[in-house]
This record gives sequence, C-alpha cells and structure tokens, in this order.
Amino acid sequence: MLKAENLKKIYHMGDVIVPAVNDVYLEVEPGEIMCIMGKSGSGKSTLLHMLGLIDSPTSGKVYFKDQDVSKLSESKRSKIRLAQMGFVFQEYALLPELTALENVYLPARMLGRWPSEYEERAVTLLDSIGLIERMHHRPRQLSGGQQQRVAIARAMVNKPEIIFADEPTANLDSTSGKQVMEALTWLNKQFGTTIVFVSHDTDDQKYAGRVVHLYDGKLSETMEDQANA
Amino acid sequence: MRSLQVALFLAGRTIFRGNGWLSVTTILMLVLVFLNLVFTPSLLEGVIETANAKLRDTLSSDITVESATPGALMDDADKLVDQIVKINGVDAATPARTISAQLELGSERGTAEVSGIDTASFRDVYSVPKYMIEGSFLNPGDKDQIVLGAQIAGAGKAKLELYADSLKNAHVGDTVTAKFANGLKKNYTVKGIYQTEFVQADLKSLITSDEYTTISPLSKGKASAVNVKLKNDANQDKVNSQIQALRTDIKTRTWQERAGFVKSYTASLEVVNKILRAVALFVAFLTIFIITYVDVVNKKRQIGISRAIGISATTIIMSYVFRAIFYTLIGVVIGALLFILVVVPLEARYPFSFPLGDVLLSVNPGFILRNIEILMLVSVVSAALPAWRSVRGKIVDAIWGN
Repeated sequence: MLKAENLKKIYHMGDVIVPAVNDVYLEVEPGEIMCIMGKSGSGKSTLLHMLGLIDSPTSGKVYFKDQDVSKLSESKRSKIRLAQMGFVFQEYALLPELTALENVYLPARMLGRWPSEYEERAVTLLDSIGLIERMHHRPRQLSGGQQQRVAIARAMVNKPEIIFADEPTANLDSTSGKQVMEALTWLNKQFGTTIVFVSHDTDDQKYAGRVVHLYDGKLSETMEDQANA
Repeated sequence: MRSLQVALFLAGRTIFRGNGWLSVTTILMLVLVFLNLVFTPSLLEGVIETANAKLRDTLSSDITVESATPGALMDDADKLVDQIVKINGVDAATPARTISAQLELGSERGTAEVSGIDTASFRDVYSVPKYMIEGSFLNPGDKDQIVLGAQIAGAGKAKLELYADSLKNAHVGDTVTAKFANGLKKNYTVKGIYQTEFVQADLKSLITSDEYTTISPLSKGKASAVNVKLKNDANQDKVNSQIQALRTDIKTRTWQERAGFVKSYTASLEVVNKILRAVALFVAFLTIFIITYVDVVNKKRQIGISRAIGISATTIIMSYVFRAIFYTLIGVVIGALLFILVVVPLEARYPFSFPLGDVLLSVNPGFILRNIEILMLVSVVSAALPAWRSVRGKIVDAIWGN
C-alpha cells in the first residue's frame, strides 16, 4: 500500500547539515497497524509527514498504491490526503469555531459529499467512539481525550485507506490515551483501515502489529538492530 | 464551487462563533472608513455644486448669447429674446448692454462694468435681487439710480476680497460719479447694494435699460448679451443648438464654457477630494489587512492542520475573503444608513458656511454605490493578500509554528 525507498530528509541549520531521516526503506501492508518508535528528535514525525504527503523528501521516493507520489504538486497531494488518507495530530487540532460534528464532517464537505450523507456518517462515527452526546459541543467544551477521539472520527469520515497518527496519546493521561489507541485499533479491525502511528511511549507498542524503530533518522525493525547499528 | 461552499461555511462559523468583539470592532472601523470615504467628497462636491449654482444664478446664466463679432452689439434684441423664450426648455431670457466705467465716490475710485438691464426679465434669470444688503433693487424706469455690487461699493466691509480697489464706503443714498468708456460722465444715486458672495458677480453695477439708453442712445434696441435660463429638465446641448440656428450673427457660450475661473477652483477641490479618498481607501486596506494578518499569524498552526487534512488553499483564502466581504458589507450598509439618515439631515440643519454661502452635502447614489464597490474590492484584496501568504509556506512549518 505504502512504500518508501531511500527516503532522506536533510535540514540546513546555518552551515550545519542535519539529516532528520536518513536513507529509510519502509513498506506498509494494507490493513496493518505499524508503530514508528523513537526518541524525541529521532525523525519519526518527519518520516510520518513524508509518508503522509505533508512534507517532501530531500531525496528518495514514496509510493502510494504503486504510484510515485513524492514529486506530485501540492494540489494533487492535497486531493490524495483528503480522499484517501486520514490524519491525527499530537495536539487535537480541531477548528475551535466548529462543533465536534462539524469538525468531523468538514473533510467530507470538502470532498463534495451530500449533506445527508456526510452528516449521517459523522454522527455514526461520533456514536461509535462514544461522543454522540457531545457532538454539538465546541472543542473547548471537550476534554483532551474527547477532542482526540473527535480528531480520529474526522480522520475516518472520508473512509480513508490509511490513517497517520503523530503521537496521538502524547498529551493525554493514561486512561484517555488508552481510549484513543483502542479507538484506532477498533477502526482497523472494523474497517480494515491501515494505521501508521508514531510514538515514543513503549506502552503503545502493544497496539501495533509491527513496530519499527527510528534512531538518528535510521530505521531498524528491532531494538537489537538498533543496538548493532 | 465546492471550495467556495466550504469557505463560506468556515467564514460563517468564524464570524458568528469567533471573537465577537473583533467582529464588532472591525465593522465599526469600516463604518468610520466608509463615512470618511463619502463625507468629505460629498462636502467638496457640495462646494463645487454651490459654486456652479452661484455662477449660473448670478453671472453666467445657463447660456450666454453674444454677437459673433467680438465687442459688437446684437440688433433686434427684443425679437431675439422673444425667439429664444419660445424654444422648448427655455425658462427665461434677459438682454443686457454693458459698458466699462470708472466710478468715483469722493477721492475713492473703482472700475466696474455697468450693465443696463431689463429689470423684469433680469429677475426671472438671475437671483441677484435676493442678495440685497442695502436698499432695494432696480424697478422698471428707474432713472439716475444705480445698484452696486458689494465688491465695487465696499460698503464699509473691509474684509471684502477686493475692498482695496472699491469705493470703500459707498452706501445707499450716496452719489457716485460714473465716467463711461464712451467719454460720458454722469452722477448716480446708489439705490441698493447687493452681495452674492460670488466675487465676479459682486464687481458689477446695474442700471435700468432706459437709463442705459440715455448714456448710449445708439444702442437702443440692441444688446451686448442675452442671458438664458433653462428649465431643470431641459437638454442644454439641444437648446444651445436651437439658439445658434436662430441667427447667423450670434454665438453662444454655455455656463461650463464661462466657468474657467470656477473650474480652476473646483479642479483644486477635485484633487483634494481624490487625495482624501485615496487615504480613506488606504486606511480601509490597512484595517482589513492587519486584522487578517494578525488572524492568520495566530492561526498559523490551525491553517497548517487544515491544509494537512485536505482543505485546499483556495478554500482557506476564500474563507478570509468572505469574512472581509461580510464585515465590509455590514460596515458600508451601517455607514450608508448613518450617512443618509443622520449625517446629511444634520448637516442640512446646521450647514457649513463657506465664502460662497451655506453648503449642503451632495448625496449622489451613484457615487455612494461606486464607493461601496471600491471598498469591497479593497477589502477583498486586503484579506486575500495575507491569507494567500499564509498558504504559500510548507505545511509542516505551519504545523510546527515556524
């Protein structure tokens, strides 16, 4: 479904060259839950952004459904993100002027779905994550965990094939974090949605079918690989 | 279309659920900008209209008919006047004969044009008799009497623009001596003094047509000029052509052609007008630009996230543009209502006093609509620019707040 080849991201800090992601090869299979683990600054968010077409690699290629998407225009990438990908960010990132329901169906409206269709879908999703009672509340009236679950529902509204989650539990207490991760795994089981998430919390590994580790921008499948690197 | 619908949705939610005080303050600023945009130009337009009206009412009339030969008199003046008043659209016409004269009062001297007028038709064409500050206007058949404009009489008004060249202290009942250009010298009793506030008109002196014949017998039945007043709905160009077609020995000049000195005056006001409008529009531009700029800077991360989840750049830009259009629309509607229902009636009650007289604000619906259009355009550009800048950068930079 998703493949990265020789992916590199280099930042220039004045005269210093910083390789955030260094020659990464990665393949994500349809329906799997992959966790990208790594310490802070290891480049895991950068890798996730490149895989999710939010950022462009310095070199290397990203294939989504066998199509090289690394050099597409921003307009085309935006359309792919809207229709086929979902995103959950570390900070809930909901629009404060919209209710939970409106936040959820916003991407569906953008995709041009009919109001009856997108509203029904948004209500169903909010119901399935236990927030039906709060659907007319604004983000500031929701707890962090509730906001993150709304963000997950928003990521799901266009029935994406893959969801990228960037440290979705980082700002949550353990109970809320658990609820968020369970919501993601439920989506995976219920709809077969591929999930790629980034975390530095080893507790989150248990939700993943596969865990890869990023260390100084380099990828390894196991901790042992990393130690030998 | 889809982008516009979502943009409209986002704009609506931000306006009605966002910072209410920001919305109110923005609209208030735009109300003031709009009032600023229309008030001064309307006042200056009022000054221009007053100047033009004074010119026509006191000096030039709508159309001046003269001999085609410079300085010559037109024959059969009465017949010409009769022919002119029969033309559809003509309200009145009055003949006049004019001669230069030096007027003397004691040791004071002043130069003036003395016109012999038909008092009845003169009143139909000009409003000069309404501006008497001393005495009364001429009656048919008045002999040895003269009515002086304030700028030649002086009338003890040292603040008059041309007081130094006037008779300084001429008043009703005084005897002034006129030395005419044809060499004749005659004494006149001042019957009245008028002050129209229009300097060129107030430089003239008037005697009756019969009196004029005594100083210039050969000019009887002739006229230096026939001044024509048109009805309000008359087509000036059409009437002008019809007058020209009456005789081959005449030429006509419209009030616009005679308004050279007023034109330079109004042209200066037009320049001031344009500068003030440009400043007002720039203030409007800055207001919306700053509000939008501050908003996009504060919402940089939110905009980055929106782009990341697939909300197009066009949608984001248009949501800001729609907000600006909404604020501007509300601002101009309130501003226009305030202007028409409050400012204009208030100014009419307490008008500004200018040297030409009281000036009313000139309310031109076309002008107001044009300003609304321009303001809308300015608001669209001033909102689109910072919004466009905000979606130009990398999404990750926006998400990370860089």
